[in-house]
Amino acid sequence: MNESAFENLKLELRRGCLVLAVLAQLRVEHYGYTLRKALADDGLEIEESTLYPLLRRLETQGLLTSEWREEDKRNKRFYRLSKDGKLVLKQLLEEWQTMGASLGRILWEQKV
Amino acid sequence: MNLLNRYLQEVSKYLPKARREDIVAELRANILSQIEDREQELGRALTDTELVEMLQHHGNPLMVAGRYGPHNLGLAFGIQLIGPELFPYYRTVLGVIWGISLTVMAVAMPIIARTVGEKVALGRVLLPLAVQFAVTTVIFVLLDRGKGHLLNRWDPGKLPALKTDSEDGPNARRIFNFIATAVGALWLALAPRSPYLLLGPAAISLEAVPMKLMPEWMQFYWAIVALLCFQLGLQFLNLLRLLPRRGAQVADLILKCAGLVIGILLLFKFPNYVTSPYPDVAEWANLSFLICVIVAVAIGLFAVVRLLLRERRAVLPGPRVAHGKS
Repeated sequence: MNESAFENLKLELRRGCLVLAVLAQLRVEHYGYTLRKALADDGLEIEESTLYPLLRRLETQGLLTSEWREEDKRNKRFYRLSKDGKLVLKQLLEEWQTMGASLGRILWEQKV
Repeated sequence: MNLLNRYLQEVSKYLPKARREDIVAELRANILSQIEDREQELGRALTDTELVEMLQHHGNPLMVAGRYGPHNLGLAFGIQLIGPELFPYYRTVLGVIWGISLTVMAVAMPIIARTVGEKVALGRVLLPLAVQFAVTTVIFVLLDRGKGHLLNRWDPGKLPALKTDSEDGPNARRIFNFIATAVGALWLALAPRSPYLLLGPAAISLEAVPMKLMPEWMQFYWAIVALLCFQLGLQFLNLLRLLPRRGAQVADLILKCAGLVIGILLLFKFPNYVTSPYPDVAEWANLSFLICVIVAVAIGLFAVVRLLLRERRAVLPGPRVAHGKS
């Protein structure tokens, strides 16, 4: 029971972080596969079946723009942060830092 | 790459039609890049077993497609009951079941209300909807509980073979369509002379409770028979591949539109189909006919909309590609 509660909570915690990580990574243009590799290289493994639909949703929300382009003789869909996406990322990062600082204080106080 | 194409074909079956081509093109590009990367790492081409493992890790086609649903929604009461992978299918199944039930109930409600009163009738209408909701939800909750187990137990090696002639359809389908239409036309032409074909053993009851089709109905009847004969001719030409694909599609669309017009005329211009010296019998027989016509019109409308959407997709451009850079 505790194991499944932990898994559910971990999933919830991870969901928000993934969006933030994807937006942050797309300050530089990527297509799906290279984005997944870049995230994995930074220690954030994400499944293909989660990442690719997430990109579509973020684009639908206007946070990303995409373009089909030929690279290495193959058509690929490249994504990057849109103007709105940059603004939302900035706000999310501020929120993240505020929450991180609060959490840090709470944990520090308990330790002391 | 045959296995990859079979995998993408399976994923595409469950994708929303409007975005199917685009999503499959993107998945193909990403998986091919992953294969290339892995091959570069190994210094050789991937074996079939390695490709199977890669696709298995990529995910069950049903689950992969489910995540591209219009909304990444789920059903939750405190805890998640149906996750985003199965929720689009849950919504579709429930929508179809409720759609059929509501159509039938909309017709039956006034008659039930007349006999048992409006409040009781409303209860009799709402109860089946609630039961359908509960049963469908329980089934999907159970499926969701076992989805990790079920969805991970798929074997890429068992994916269906590639459809090489999907637009034309296999020859077996053409033969089946032709035979089915021929049997249908024959049955309809003989049914008024032999009520047994329509009612089976219950036809004998017509002797005790006489019932006849209204004379005005016959013009519609012959129009339907004529339409079936046209359809039979079209399918015969199709069977011998004497018609170009485009021509066959347009002719099919015209015939389906004509059928829909006949159905709509029957529905709105001519509500009485049967006459009988017993008013109750006539009322129930007319209601049965009405339900059949409603179902036929709904099926016809669905078929016409599907064909129109296919026509629209055929003239829409594919994914736009810019060349250069990177």
